[in-house]
Amino acid sequence: MKKLLGFMSLLMVSSGIIFAQEVEFEEYKLDNGMHVILHQDNNVPVVTVAVSYHVGSKNENPEKTGFAHFFEHLLFEGTKNIERGEWFKLVSSNGGSNNATTNYDRTYYYENFPSNNLELGLWMESERLMHPIINQIGVDTQKEVVQEERRLRVDNQPYGRWQEQMFKNLFSKHPYRWTVIGSLEHLASASLEDFQNFNKKFYVPNNAVLVVAGDFEKGEAKRMIQDYFGPIPKGPDVVQPTYVEDPIQGPIKVQYEDPNIQIPLIMMGYRTPGQTERDAYVLDMISTYLSDGKSSKLYKKLVDEKKMALQVFAFNGSQEDYGAYIVGGLPVGETSLEDIMKEIDEEILKLQTELISENDYQKLQNKAENNFVNSNSSIAGIAGSLANYYLLYDDTNLINTQIDIYRSITREEIRDVAAKYLKTDQRVELEYLPEQKNAN
Amino acid sequence: MKKTLLFTILSLFLTVSYAQIDRTQPPKPGPAPKINLEEPNTFELKNGLKVMVVENRKLPRVSIQLDIDNPPVLEGDKAGVSSLMASMLGNGSSNIPKDEFNEEVDFLGARLSFGASSAFASSLSKYFPRILELMADAAINPNFTAEEFEKEKAKLITGLKTEENDVSAIADKVQRALAYGTKHPYGEITSEETVNNVTLFDVEQFYRKNFVPANAYLVIIGDVDFKTAKDLVTKAFTPWTRAVPPTYSYSKPMDAQYTQINFVDMPNAVQSEVAVQNLVDLKMKDDDYLPALIANQILGGGGEGRLFLNLREDKGYTYGSYSSIGNDRFSPVRFTAEAQVRNMVTDSSVVQILEEIDRITKEPVTAEELKNTKAKYAGRFVMALEQPQTIARYALNIEKEGLPKDFYKNYLQNINAISVADVQNAAKKYFSTDKARVVVAGKGSEVLENLEKVSFNGKAVPVLYFDKNANKTEKPDYNAGIPEGITANDVLNKYIEAIGGAEKVNAITSLKLVYEGEAMGSKIKVEEKRTADKLAQTTYMNENPMMGVVAKGDELFMKQGGNKMPLPEDMKADMMNTMGIFVEQALLANGTAKLAGIEQVDGKDAYKLEVPGKITQTSLFYDVETGLKVKEAAVITMNGQSQNQSGMLKEYKEIDGIMFPSIKTQSMGPQEIEVTLLEAVINQGVTDADFE
Repeated sequence: MKKLLGFMSLLMVSSGIIFAQEVEFEEYKLDNGMHVILHQDNNVPVVTVAVSYHVGSKNENPEKTGFAHFFEHLLFEGTKNIERGEWFKLVSSNGGSNNATTNYDRTYYYENFPSNNLELGLWMESERLMHPIINQIGVDTQKEVVQEERRLRVDNQPYGRWQEQMFKNLFSKHPYRWTVIGSLEHLASASLEDFQNFNKKFYVPNNAVLVVAGDFEKGEAKRMIQDYFGPIPKGPDVVQPTYVEDPIQGPIKVQYEDPNIQIPLIMMGYRTPGQTERDAYVLDMISTYLSDGKSSKLYKKLVDEKKMALQVFAFNGSQEDYGAYIVGGLPVGETSLEDIMKEIDEEILKLQTELISENDYQKLQNKAENNFVNSNSSIAGIAGSLANYYLLYDDTNLINTQIDIYRSITREEIRDVAAKYLKTDQRVELEYLPEQKNAN
Repeated sequence: MKKTLLFTILSLFLTVSYAQIDRTQPPKPGPAPKINLEEPNTFELKNGLKVMVVENRKLPRVSIQLDIDNPPVLEGDKAGVSSLMASMLGNGSSNIPKDEFNEEVDFLGARLSFGASSAFASSLSKYFPRILELMADAAINPNFTAEEFEKEKAKLITGLKTEENDVSAIADKVQRALAYGTKHPYGEITSEETVNNVTLFDVEQFYRKNFVPANAYLVIIGDVDFKTAKDLVTKAFTPWTRAVPPTYSYSKPMDAQYTQINFVDMPNAVQSEVAVQNLVDLKMKDDDYLPALIANQILGGGGEGRLFLNLREDKGYTYGSYSSIGNDRFSPVRFTAEAQVRNMVTDSSVVQILEEIDRITKEPVTAEELKNTKAKYAGRFVMALEQPQTIARYALNIEKEGLPKDFYKNYLQNINAISVADVQNAAKKYFSTDKARVVVAGKGSEVLENLEKVSFNGKAVPVLYFDKNANKTEKPDYNAGIPEGITANDVLNKYIEAIGGAEKVNAITSLKLVYEGEAMGSKIKVEEKRTADKLAQTTYMNENPMMGVVAKGDELFMKQGGNKMPLPEDMKADMMNTMGIFVEQALLANGTAKLAGIEQVDGKDAYKLEVPGKITQTSLFYDVETGLKVKEAAVITMNGQSQNQSGMLKEYKEIDGIMFPSIKTQSMGPQEIEVTLLEAVINQGVTDADFE
């Protein structure tokens, strides 16, 4: 014990000194409204070109869900100057890698190249925006592909539908109530014109941010960016939708049966504020407190000591407009879902009524610092963060300052935020069960 | 308006000023970037632990990686012992109790984890000395307790349960088991049974034998200088006792003797997992190692691989199709080409994957494909250098795999020297379509019928069946689920009961049924007359008799107009089996019907009875609940051709105390005809003349 104490005091002295590995960047706008962020780092000969569009499943018509993600697929089908089927070849034959992701709020495309192919990356991304070819062949092929993606990621996946089940109950007005992959029926009935309209509406430079990160010279990069993206005409303003949800009257109890599982799962979901709110950061810390690491409260109690759970989790899935705070676990053996819920609720109640210990608080700070250092460890990762912070937080410099927000969070705030959002009567209780076979 | 015009002019002006770039062609790459291939600093402890240090000051953090490079271990009837050991490592040490230990790791904001022959830790550089100490302590002085053992065992078993319905987990398990055999470390199966065989003593023994420094490497990467690292590592790891792990022997895995499909039935699957696999004997130091990688890359290495372009981009069968080739200096390993595909196209996907493998072995790849793939490798090589782990990995590979010291220095040059012929030779040597094992895990009731018809290169590909643990099994029976004790006669008796009871049914000596409907614009009438041993069926079109069938005694003939045409002997024999006022009476008497199972008919469970025959095979379906017959189907096979017929029987109504279906729908090929009951006449109006 004495040894531990001595060790602790040593830590107190040394903590607080962190190397500020500042991510330097420059940002500006093109005349057509496209936002540009440059992060130069000439240590290693790699470069990332990325474009993020402020369109996700949130911007979809409730009758046409899955469009944003589907569109991401379509935009690999070719452009005026890049033939169908050539996109991937062009990237890999120049030593690069590429992909794209769609979420509720944005769609992100990127290429990573050895640095001598910066211009190629800029050309490709500008072609994608300026000259996409959206035709029936592409739509037909990608309809099949997306169906398989859904089967792979959702329908055939153990626990693959928790998000769908949780979010449709957490949200009644906001488009977060449907999933990013959307409805296969909607996609099946979608016409070519629907997709062309989607393109016109959202894929405009004034709705996008271009990030170039890595090994390049700024002057040259700026000239090329102007050459490739400058001529793209500005589009109509994109207005982001706003929805205000009424508080959940609950708890809402839901059951879902999944044929792909054997072990049931209990999951409680709470609606929380959007990711830019300070409270969202506090909720991140609460998740760490509850379930990150072997000494975290829920893990230690439910998995380690009481052996009631195979696994426990708590995380704050925040989005631009709202978040979903999810906490739950998988029971071991005969333990009931109710018992797991009871134990979790007990811990949350403590959090809402008592202050966490100084030691636990310091642990949270150390973890936050560690995450912060690790979050900027690759050029590709930095590019993604810069795009996100600009597009969804409206503050690119958060890449350097986010740690200050965590540092400023107090124990009292942790208690108050837990009390404010993690209310048992304002949550969804999802019992996610193995499918019952008919006994015949 | 003016504003718009101005804008247009401006944009025109701008466009002109950009005209210097040519958008129609991809920009050419600049000169190849210089790469800097560092080497780690190394030293060795007396106990055999080899240490590598890669100094990288970009971020204030350090990672520590322990890699014990032992040959694979066969765990046999105690499979699971190594994963139990791994999950018990890192929970404290004999010096620091578990809770205190975990608390401290978390407090540092650090990560620490153990595998069966590895460990990993990372932390901010200011906590590196302590996390290194903790890691060494946990590795050298493990904290194996009975309590932890029981807990980890329960968790492992529960974990195995979670995989029982997981299609991809099962597919992976079975693929390995079939490729290597279950008596090989890479193929053996951990089950609840084998886990239950493991004792705490087994875990301790496994640790003592295998978790030893003779083949171990420790790699330190990050914000630390060599001298500090060396001092700290020497202090922390010198107490690790010198020992060499035992050597094991196990059966050498063999390829299938001929190309075959190995099918695992997963009734919950909405997609099939398809993997075409064969074994390869490939080591990194082999001369054709790089050509083999290139061949695999062209075949299925990514979004521009042939498999992806064919199965996803061209056909839309899958979200992705890829191949991979392993290398291993201890054992043959797998080459696999796989895809998750929708049920409908399972058979086609198998064929397409086989064809792509065949093509790359038989035809040279194009110069362009080779050029592009080389560029991909070069790019990947350059970009990987961003991560300091790469430097360490390269150095480790040189040591472990016995590569020339300059392997990575010459890597780009060696890639560049690969010819089209090298690639084809490697493909021929390492990819097989005549001894391939095609493992498919999917929903048999939807995919098997077509899968059984797959042929490749002119040969039928046989389907063999396996269970979820890779044991050979029978072809799945989709008609399972019959309650115990129920026989065909029970079903037939229940039917008789349901339509009016044996007494009333047996009192019938003749029956005339007339159904009427419309087909192709004509009125259709079907008249059927039956006695105990005679049957006459006449079909009228617009009131004109079109066709008739008569069966009596030992005669069976067809009537068309005034002509009588005898039907084949075999068909007659079949027909005699089913004579009677009600077919069921005959079947009860002759006992030829077999209960084949339960199937759904119009969404309701029905017993399926099969009546075998030489030409006509009849299936009859009876509602489980009501006992009434809901469907009749027949397969008629003549001269090597088969024809399917089936009819649905609906909306029973009572006539003179007997229930008859008031609607029948008859399908013959693509047509469907619905007829409704016009009359049912019992014990009247049937004479011998009706059977002439």
